[in-house]
Amino acid sequence: MQGSVAGTYFDGQSAGRHPVEVTIDEAAGDLILSGASLDAPQRWPLARLRAQGDHARRDALTLSLHAPSDDESPRDPARLTLSDPRMITRIRARCPDLDRSDLHRGTTRKLLTRGVAALAAVALILFVILPRMADTLATLIPVEREAAFGKAVTAQIERALGAARLGDLTCEDPAGRAALDAMIARLTGGQDLQYELKVKVLDHDMLNAFAAPGGQVVVMRGLLEKSGGPDAVAAVLAHEIGHVERRDATRHALRAAGSAGLLSMLLGDVTGGTIAVFLGERLMQASYTREAEAEADAFALKMLNEAGIDSAAMAGFFDELAKDEGKGPQLPAYFATHPASADRASAARDNARAQGTTRPVLSKAQWTALKGICG
Amino acid sequence: MSEDNQIINARYQGQRGPLFGLAFVTALLTMLSLGIYRFWGKTRIRRYIWSSVDGGGDAFEYTGSGLEKFLGFLVAIVILAVYLGVVQMILFYFGLTLFAEPTSAEMALAQMAGLYVTFLAIVPLIFFAQYRARRYKLARTRWRGVRFGAEKGAWGYALRAMGHWLLTIVTLGILLPRQTFWLEKYKTDRSWYGDGRFVQEGRWGALYPAMTHLLIGVGLILAGALALALQSPFIGGALSVVGYVWAMVGFISYRVRAFIYLTEHKLLDGDIRFEARPETRKIIGLVIVGSLVVSLIMGLAFAALAALASMVVGPAMMAPGPGHIVGLVLMAGLYLGALLMGGALSLAWITQPVIAHVISSIRVRGADRLADIRQRAYDTGADAEGFADALDVGGAI
Repeated sequence: MQGSVAGTYFDGQSAGRHPVEVTIDEAAGDLILSGASLDAPQRWPLARLRAQGDHARRDALTLSLHAPSDDESPRDPARLTLSDPRMITRIRARCPDLDRSDLHRGTTRKLLTRGVAALAAVALILFVILPRMADTLATLIPVEREAAFGKAVTAQIERALGAARLGDLTCEDPAGRAALDAMIARLTGGQDLQYELKVKVLDHDMLNAFAAPGGQVVVMRGLLEKSGGPDAVAAVLAHEIGHVERRDATRHALRAAGSAGLLSMLLGDVTGGTIAVFLGERLMQASYTREAEAEADAFALKMLNEAGIDSAAMAGFFDELAKDEGKGPQLPAYFATHPASADRASAARDNARAQGTTRPVLSKAQWTALKGICG
Repeated sequence: MSEDNQIINARYQGQRGPLFGLAFVTALLTMLSLGIYRFWGKTRIRRYIWSSVDGGGDAFEYTGSGLEKFLGFLVAIVILAVYLGVVQMILFYFGLTLFAEPTSAEMALAQMAGLYVTFLAIVPLIFFAQYRARRYKLARTRWRGVRFGAEKGAWGYALRAMGHWLLTIVTLGILLPRQTFWLEKYKTDRSWYGDGRFVQEGRWGALYPAMTHLLIGVGLILAGALALALQSPFIGGALSVVGYVWAMVGFISYRVRAFIYLTEHKLLDGDIRFEARPETRKIIGLVIVGSLVVSLIMGLAFAALAALASMVVGPAMMAPGPGHIVGLVLMAGLYLGALLMGGALSLAWITQPVIAHVISSIRVRGADRLADIRQRAYDTGADAEGFADALDVGGAI
């Protein structure tokens, strides 16, 4: 027969090899397979031929037929392998659909329903169930356990900032400490707080302060130096006390424990995946914290009002931060997840206008002492 | 038929260039699609590697699809989201309630580490996912048009795997051969080629000779520790270093020799047997040469990147305006690109040569009986290894 080449046919029913002669019937548009071990010659319509993709051997072609089936893809189980280069070229030229990947009917619907279900489940877990559970568990946890956890957290942070031994970075100047205690007493006087506050200053020039679980508040030396005055420091402290009272740090730790594994699972082992997980967590953290920050701000303003401290300093502090935000990448770590500083400044300014008589939180001498707490 | 006709040799015909190209392109698409393309990428790489393997001139075929893997992953996500989210948080909560006040930095660190023990919650799932992934891969593998397959049994495997691991750890590794053998037997006895069943024969005690070099290495390390305790730092240090290297090589040697023993004691469909002759020396050589080549190329790539950074991107970042953002993005992109290249290079230069060596050392005896094997029914593949993808077990292929 003209243009006949050798091939190997597997019938898809057994593992037996069938050597076959393969020809193209141009008129009928069929590939004809015939061989001694076949009952009758097979006719494979060229339009239904499909080649195996990403095949390692360029000199061979494995063919199957597009056909309805219950298998993973709509293919007949029979296979034909060819290695004659001219035949391969001819088939490639005659079969435009050779590399098509066919889908079963209803695949799009399946993809849509499962995709929506998965997205909904993940969103439900991340934004409804985990936050609710975290809120509940945070109120169930005994206060002394929370305080122990908070100490572990602050110890971790001290080490991360470079303390060789615990307490190496803690600033203990007696006069400064007395000024800090006076500030705390002024803020918390007459307030009914659930936690015993433990405020400590760390010797680090970061413009930062944070509330760890269980009443631990850490203020960095940088905040004392760059915040613009004692009233601003008092405002930041009041804000952190707001976090302490709302158990925000504990709730966030619980939420993060639930969501971190989930996020890395979703993104998989992508190169740069750590960055993506970090950004994702950052994003979620931001959506969680936005509300918490707004409430801590409201708490701080209330506390300042009750203590008779001018909230204009708070506004000034946020104005400074807003300027920094304008500069681009060097966003201060402390505010990366916080609401826009300009809005917070105007809220503090509005509050200041409505405030009655105020007096400074610290005397000049006390402020000098506080700034010198790290010696 | 003559004895010769009954033997077929396995061959591996994949090449470095095409596999590198495929791996690099799929990794790039994976990054650009935030990880979604990884299901298709893995499928395409498998198709390439499977089709590189041939037995008696007939290539293997991988028939899985990226889409079904993605669909399986979506199902796994729904289940894992609930399980992981809730279990992790509850375990974390109990971890917190066990907290006592830390008295030293070390204790505080130990307590933080204790919190991560909560990850134990996923251990049974990892073994479950491993078995399921194996079942899926077998169900999507064909040779001469006939499917491989595995029976269900992922929970049974997870239970046994945890028991054996516990025993191995408790006995300081003495019972490692027992674990290796019984887990392999569990998997093999549930594997099929068409209607032909695989059976694992042999006994676990026979794996002890394979441990020889591993034990020598461990012995040297112990002797080194003893010498250090007896105040002879030079001898102790030397023994420890030699022992460490010896144990590393010994571990590879154990895996290779255990593979040979287990393969040569497998039986398919009653009378088809296998021979395997991979060499530890050859594998270590391939890994060393491959690693050298990969690190050389990566070193050059990063040097070129650094030069580019200082000459082009650096000045752009100093310039006013949006230049520094563009520079930063460009730099991050190039850096990630170089990392992707590293992954693709190690697949093509380290993983593939090892696979090629192992595959081409395998022979099948009684191969004329293969023609009697009939096709087996289609297996849905359950979650199409969605759990393995979600938990990131299974590695590159």
